[in-house]
Amino acid sequence: MNKWFKSGSPWIWLSAGGVSISLISVIGLLWLIASRGLSYFWPADIYQFEMLDQNGKKTQIIGEIYDRESIPARQLSHLQLDLADAEEVERLLVKTGNRELVSLDFRWILVPQIIEQSTPEDIVLIERRTNGNFYGYIDALILDGQQVSLDRLPEMLARVTEFQQQMEELQKVDIGAINYQIERLRLQERKHRLEQTLTPDTEQAISEQVTELQADYQQLEQELLALRAKVSRDQLKMRAMDGQIVTINFEHILKVSFNNLLHFGEKLMMFFSQIASFISDDPREANTEGGVFPAIFGTVLMVLLMTVIVSPLGVVAAIYLHEYAGNNALTKLLRIAVINLAGVPSIVYGVFGLGFFVYMVGGSLDQLFYPETLPSPTFGTPGVMWSAITLAILTLPVVIVSTEEGLSRIPGSMRHGSLALGATKAETLWRIILPIASPAIMTGIILAIARAAGEVAPLMLVGVVKMAPNLPLDGNFPFLHLDRKFMHLGFHIYDVGFQSPNVEAARPLVYATALLLVTIIVALNMTAVSIRNRLREKYRTLEH
Amino acid sequence: MISVSPKNLMATQTKLDLHNLTAEQKALDIKGLNLFYGEKQALQNITMAIPKGQVTAFIGPSGCGKSTLLRCINRMNDLVDSCRIEGEINLHGENIYSKQVDVAALRRQVGMVFQRPNPFPKSIYENVVYGLRIAGENNRRVLDDAVEQALRSAALWNEVKDRLHESALGLSGGQQQRLVIARAIAIEPEVLLLDEPTSALDPISTLTIEELINDLKKQFTVVIVTHNMQQAARVSDQTAFMYMGDLIEYNDTNTLFTTPDKKKTEDYITGRYG
Repeated sequence: MNKWFKSGSPWIWLSAGGVSISLISVIGLLWLIASRGLSYFWPADIYQFEMLDQNGKKTQIIGEIYDRESIPARQLSHLQLDLADAEEVERLLVKTGNRELVSLDFRWILVPQIIEQSTPEDIVLIERRTNGNFYGYIDALILDGQQVSLDRLPEMLARVTEFQQQMEELQKVDIGAINYQIERLRLQERKHRLEQTLTPDTEQAISEQVTELQADYQQLEQELLALRAKVSRDQLKMRAMDGQIVTINFEHILKVSFNNLLHFGEKLMMFFSQIASFISDDPREANTEGGVFPAIFGTVLMVLLMTVIVSPLGVVAAIYLHEYAGNNALTKLLRIAVINLAGVPSIVYGVFGLGFFVYMVGGSLDQLFYPETLPSPTFGTPGVMWSAITLAILTLPVVIVSTEEGLSRIPGSMRHGSLALGATKAETLWRIILPIASPAIMTGIILAIARAAGEVAPLMLVGVVKMAPNLPLDGNFPFLHLDRKFMHLGFHIYDVGFQSPNVEAARPLVYATALLLVTIIVALNMTAVSIRNRLREKYRTLEH
Repeated sequence: MISVSPKNLMATQTKLDLHNLTAEQKALDIKGLNLFYGEKQALQNITMAIPKGQVTAFIGPSGCGKSTLLRCINRMNDLVDSCRIEGEINLHGENIYSKQVDVAALRRQVGMVFQRPNPFPKSIYENVVYGLRIAGENNRRVLDDAVEQALRSAALWNEVKDRLHESALGLSGGQQQRLVIARAIAIEPEVLLLDEPTSALDPISTLTIEELINDLKKQFTVVIVTHNMQQAARVSDQTAFMYMGDLIEYNDTNTLFTTPDKKKTEDYITGRYG
């Protein structure tokens, strides 16, 4: 036994155990969010249940099975069911949709009450722009007031989709640009007024331009109205599960699918197309439906901006601390302070960012450069730039510490070699030391990205919103609008999961978004790691 | 006693009077040099003149101050915080320790090669042109010529001419050391300091470098520190023996190794200590 201890085996087992536990938890976490998240995109079968309730009344329920669980039978004693003394009763959570008929999207049904369960092939799932999904049977297809054969459905859908795209383009790009220009002209005029440089000529010119733009606007609006009329020409008459007929205008329809008819290959294709639209679409209905593209864009843009800010700052600070500052008590104190900064809770940085950057710096910027928009703030309000800067401050210690470590690992012979060739200290730093230290700098940046991409708490104070009307990057000059608020995947998870009116429906979306966030962070990190490995290979120094 | 190669005997026939060199014959003139590391004195009142176009070797036991003295010549000791220097070293009659001296310019005139090869993690080509680029030379043709010339002088051209743009770290130790020498001579210094340049190399590479040193003295004044007495005997024209921070004896190599004046020198070269 003693020998066994001396051999070191127990410690090997112990450390191997530690590794296995970490590995299992990482794989478990990924498996959980991946399985729950991806199942959201899989086109589920739509069931029709014949139910018999305790009063002997028959009802019909149509929907997707979302979840199933067992509950103790005595919890249901008040229902006076004939449960044949079963200990537990199984119940199903069914998504029934049809919000115009029933207020709740979901309902629990008890398995013992089901008389019959089937998956009829002609059940249709309609995804809509508003009011969630509709489940039911197609009763009639109305083309311009005339009932037509069902075969024309795909063709009519394609036509509407095309018009919808045109409308969206018109609204977002063309009309958006005109609104933006009108707003700029208004501000220009206001600026002239404030500076008392408004001559009748300029006023005339501005108002002419505005009139011109407004004429354009009118025209575009006409086009839009025409398109809208075309889009709302056709209707679908649907029969819901209780036999009611509901008319759905094509204007609201996103997708019509016969899930029960699909075979595996078609389901797979639909699965991938749903993932694609989740990644590329805007959110709908208070973020509970649709995609997360603005959140992905906001997260990546913010992290990139943060990297651009933190890298030079951290590297320069580390160079000063390591190369130029004297080796005395003050430097040591500074170093300790930097390391301790990394331990400050992130929300504190958020408070600091809000108080200092947003209100003080941003407020002053507004007064100096954007007086014409006041009292509505430009930079004096949370925005993507302040978020990036706040996170840059938050991750600064990481970059400083790893850069300094990299600098101290460089063999003295490299410096001496360069100095002996007549290079000054600055030239040596620039040409020899920094390139050799670049892998270490990249390590710092990788750690900074990993930390910043997952940070949500400070962002809630300095720039993240639940729903941003515009992306921070668009086609209007100056293209990158750093003052805009943005959406962020981390905040999106919180918002969808806990702030939405329909938590049950949002749960798979939470997992899907979490999976996406993890994927994006991993992708950002892998990019940085591959850059670092390339640098490492290039600047591999001799082992001294 | 140690044999001295006939070639060196030839060289010493035009014997210089080391202790009374004329100004033109002197490359470096060290006068009353004292060096302290904190409280500890590492060099004591060194006075010597190093003649132009010849190879001068510093020998002595470990810790005798020979490397320290060598590093004084291009002011590499400036990098040591606690180091303090008194006395003067004159190059062209100007004290390199005077306040007006630009250290970077001095180091371009006095090049140095270290004990272990220290090529930069760049290509062979970029290693050689490093000093020229620092000096502001960016003309491609000038750089190409300089690379070829320096590598030929360092007897490395034939081995690397086909892979100039590959990493210098792929070369063997001996090749790396010759590359470092090429790098040092590419900027055409007047004096080349070699700090135990072969101590990390195998015998064959050592031999190549020793032959190289013989060629180099046609162009440069070479000062070499070595703990290997045979090497000093083989490559140098004059030798200085140092002990405990003192310059004990300084004479032409042949004389120093055959008929040393001082007892300490004799004990050292006959292997009684060191």
